[in-house]
Order: sequence, then C-alpha cells, then structure tokens
Amino acid sequence: MKKRAIIFTRSVFILGVLGLMALSLMAQEKVELFGYYESQILGTQLKGDFYQLFTNKLRVDLKSELSENITFAANFDYINYLGKTEWNVLDFLSEELVSTVPEEMRPFYVIAFSNDTFLDNAYIKLSFKPFDLTVGKQQISLGTGYVWNPTDVFNIKDVLDPTYEQPGHTALRLDIPLGSLYTLTTLYSPEETWEKSTKLIQLKGNISHFDYYVIAVERIWPFHDYTEFDPANMNFLDVSEKRKMLGGSTVGELLGLGVWAEYAYNWMAKSDDFYELVVGADYTFDFQTYVTMEYYRNTLGKSDYKDYDINDWMRFLSAEQKAICRDQAYVFVQHPATDLLDVGLQTVYCFSDGSLALVPTLGYSLSDNVVIYAYLNFNLGKEGTVYGKNMGNGGLLRLRAYF
Amino acid sequence: MKQLLHAFIIFPLLVLASYGQELTGKDIIQKVNDTINVETSHGTAKMTIVTTSGSKRTFVQESWSKDKGEKNLVRYLEPQRVKDQAILMLNNADDIWMFFPRTQRVRKLATHAKKQKMQGSDFSYEDMGSGDAFIKDYVSKRLEDEENEGYDCFKLELTRKRESDMSYSRLIIWVIKANFVPVTIDYYDENDPSRKVKRLVQSDIQVVDGIPTAMKAVMFNLKDNTQTELEMLEVEFNIPLDDSLFTERALKK
Repeated sequence: MKKRAIIFTRSVFILGVLGLMALSLMAQEKVELFGYYESQILGTQLKGDFYQLFTNKLRVDLKSELSENITFAANFDYINYLGKTEWNVLDFLSEELVSTVPEEMRPFYVIAFSNDTFLDNAYIKLSFKPFDLTVGKQQISLGTGYVWNPTDVFNIKDVLDPTYEQPGHTALRLDIPLGSLYTLTTLYSPEETWEKSTKLIQLKGNISHFDYYVIAVERIWPFHDYTEFDPANMNFLDVSEKRKMLGGSTVGELLGLGVWAEYAYNWMAKSDDFYELVVGADYTFDFQTYVTMEYYRNTLGKSDYKDYDINDWMRFLSAEQKAICRDQAYVFVQHPATDLLDVGLQTVYCFSDGSLALVPTLGYSLSDNVVIYAYLNFNLGKEGTVYGKNMGNGGLLRLRAYF
Repeated sequence: MKQLLHAFIIFPLLVLASYGQELTGKDIIQKVNDTINVETSHGTAKMTIVTTSGSKRTFVQESWSKDKGEKNLVRYLEPQRVKDQAILMLNNADDIWMFFPRTQRVRKLATHAKKQKMQGSDFSYEDMGSGDAFIKDYVSKRLEDEENEGYDCFKLELTRKRESDMSYSRLIIWVIKANFVPVTIDYYDENDPSRKVKRLVQSDIQVVDGIPTAMKAVMFNLKDNTQTELEMLEVEFNIPLDDSLFTERALKK
C-alpha cells in the first residue's frame, strides 16, 4: 500500500514537473510534444493452462531546441500491467532442477510486473563544432550486433524483440570528432563513488566500407546469488562485482553481404573471466526478402544444459546476463507481403543444448501512425533446455499508436 | 518582323534538331546525369503510397545532396511514426547509414539495402537515385526518337553491365529533348529483360534556380498494381552546404 502511494506521489510529481516544463516551453513555441500509446497482450500456454499478461504503456516525449547548439529532450513512461503479473520462474524449469530448491525458498523465485511511472530519459545536449556533450538520463547503444551486443554493458535485448527501445541511463557523454574518419567517445555514469561509477572510452573509425569501434569499459555488474536470501534487503543476496571489459566491433560489406562482428573480453573482480563474440550477416534479395543471421558465443553460458543451475536461469530471466547457453544462432527472414504487411520468421537455435525456438512474426500498418506487431513463439527443445517445451508456447500482440 | 520572329524560333529549333541527331546514347545519358545531379540541393517532398486496396500512406521528408548526388541525407518529418528517422548515403550510396531515433541507434547498411522498399513505397532506395548509376551501372543505346507525355523525346535503352548489381536488367528512358529531363522510365525485371515491372512518370516540370525540375513523379508498380506519388513541396539548388552535414554526427541531430 505504502509502495503504491510512493509510486502515485512520484508519478504526480514527475507529471507535474514535465507538465510545467512543457507549458513553459510551449509558451516559447519551441517544444515538440510527441510519443505513443501501446497496448499489448502476451500469452503463454504453460502446463495445460493459458496465462495472459496485458500491458498498457503511454510514452510522452518532449523535445526542445533551446538554442542553435542546445537541445533538451525527455520522455516519461506510464506502464500499467493486468492479468498474470507475477511469474514464478520455477514453473518453467525442469522438475529435476526445481527439486534442488528448498521448499521454503520457492515462493521467492518470482518475476513481478507492477505498474510504474518513470522518467525514462531527460537530458541536455550541447553541440559545438569540436564536440557534443550530453548530460542526463539517455539511451546508450553500443555495438554492431543485431540481437546480441557483447560490448553493450548497459542493455540486454530481448531475443524475440531485439529492436525494442532500451531504457535510459544517467551519464555524462562527450563525443569528439577527430577529423572526418574518427570519433572519440568518453562516458561517465555516476554511482555513489568514483570506484563504483561506470567509465567508458570508445574510438570509432572507418576503413574503406567498414566502420570499426574499439571500446574499454569499467562497471559494477549488478548480480545476485539466487541460492541465498538476504533478509535485511528482503531480496536475494547482492553479489555485484567490478567488470572490466575490452572489446571491439565492426560493420561493413563483404561480397555483397552486410557483415558485422563484435567481441568483448571481460575481467571479473571475483568470478571467472569470460568473453562474448558475435558474427552476423544480412542480405536483401531482388524479390525484397530480407535475411539476417547471427552467431553468438558467451563463455558465461554453459556448454551442457545439465549444468544449468538456478543461478543461471534467474540471472538469464532477470536480464542480469545475456545467455544461459554457450553457443547460439539467430536467423530472421522477412518479406513484405503487401505495401502494408510484413511477414517473417525468427529462429533461435542453441547449439549447446540442441533446443530451438520458432517465432513467426507479422507487422501491419493500420494507418500512418498506427501499427500492429504480433508474433507466436514455439519452443521445441527438450525439458531443461533454454528453448525447451516446458518454457511454454505462446505469443504477443501489440498495437501502437503514435502521436 | 514576322520573318525575323520565325528566324528566331526556327533557327534554334533546326540547330537543336541537327544537334540532337548527332548525340549518341552515351552523350544523352551523360546530359541526363548532369541535369539531375546538381552540385547541391535541398528540398522537402511528400510521398503518398496508394495500395491495392486504395489505402493511402503519406510521408514527408527533407533531403540534402552535395557533390552532384555523391552525398545524400534524407530525414523524415512526417508521420510521427518515423519522424527523425534519417538515412545518410555517401560515395554514390555505396556507404549507407540509417538512424533510428527511438533506439538512438545508427546502423550501417550494406548496399543490398538499396533494394529495399523505401518505407513500404514503390520506390526502392536504388530508384531514388544513387548518383551516377545510369552511367556507372548501365550501357546506353539510343533508340528511335518518340513523343512521350506530350514531349518530343530521345528514347534510350540502358542495359545493365555484367559487373553491376542493380536490381533491373534494363531500363527504357524517354528524355525530353528540350531540357534532358527523363520524363518516363520503364524498369525491367532483374532476370527477365522482357518483363516490365515498374514505370516512373515525371511531370509538372518547372525551372528552379535555373535547373529544369520535375515537381511530381509517380512510380507505378506493375507487379503489385500499386503506385507511389512523390511531390516536391520545396526545392532549391546550388546552395552552400557544409560537408559536416553529411556525417554520422549530423545524422543523429
């Protein structure tokens, strides 16, 4: 009850501040107000029952050119969940693995969706000839991969919905163009101390028809031990640790194919070091069919599915780590069936456990500013695998109206 | 006086006619290329897609080009769904970057992306012109002159070069003799040079900043029975444009 009151008060406060800001800026006739409303239903057939989670999301964006060189942008999200808003991860796992979890701990393996109102992004960007400086909560997109981005330590994409927007992160970002071919980026994302804050440096260059990036990051990685409960915080034990990452990525064209690669080596303060690698290619045929494929290796993932433990699953499903299986491939084929309708098929295969997910997709333009996106997902692997039958089959239907 | 007037009119026409007789296909396509690829340009255009069911989708885009079409930047202004999406094409569209504002992501695209439909329209990125493609990717041959859309035209056949990866095996182009504007272009199937797949018709030709400019173009998709209309709302030529406009940094603005 208290939490709801806090959320409500916070929502009113954010709305009030943004409203005042919008009114003030609109008075100057310099502000753009836009965004979208999204209604979505996610359904899953699980152990004979069909569960549904409904989501209503309103995103309101503000953008203002305060002067020739200064831009202010912000967006506020209100998300409302209905239906099955609490999912116990153990319901998706093999009985063998569930039996290893103490009975009294089982109710805690829950991923909950609660109504939320938050300031997703709010930043000021100063653009001068020698540099761009962006200060505030902002989206940070790193890497050249389509589904997986080893060098992106800020975000984890949904494999079935990789182009969905990512949340904002508070940071101070400086982009310095070095001639016409290079850009140096430094980024500082503050936490309570300098040691705990994220530091990033990246150099982007261009050779022939290839762009390339070299990147180094130091960041505290938020991790939990899902086998130990911390009564003080009423949560699983926080075992966050420092991660130092050195990586690189490239994207370009080879023999007519679009190609990209991304690699990151991670030095961990306490746990084992690991690396991630992505290679991908895409092509558009003359008959308009588009195909993209990507291979991903993450040595944090396990090469034998019998080794997946409760920590692996919880970290994977809570989006703390990108993969549970070591080697995966993603293939997406899309074709414009008409001017307004795109049909496609996503396939994800885990080499390590032999499991496969098939995801037919559909995108339809209902009007200039209203689109429908839908997919079905069928998990065909055996029990205990990442795309196993026990993960449930289902689908998603999303209606989005832009304003 | 009347005779003098005739002399003024008839003599240049005779000169033009005899000059036209001497031009080869290569000469004509070079002149077309020079006409459509102006040093710099800036404009806004409205694109209306008419589907088989008669539904319409409308887009407004602002574009800049420099170095005779070698550098291009296109930014969508409407509808809200695609607002601020932008495409940067350099080196005659051999290098393409696309910016998605919702994810703040810039993605480098390979040249095969030129074959994709532009926002679901009947124009592919390739159709929108990639600089000197008429010269670089095709061999041109002059056919017998013809009248087309009410204009006295040169008729050319462009056959794709063996090493080219363009999506059309050949093009038939009607070029207005008076100003070298291509008034109609027929596009033939990638693998079947006898199968016409699209027709572009340009109209409302006005002289803007001294450049003959088609203010309207309609692409008819004969395969899907759909059409897309492109209407220039504003256009200006040979204006100063800084190179910094054609960078990834500018793409994100």
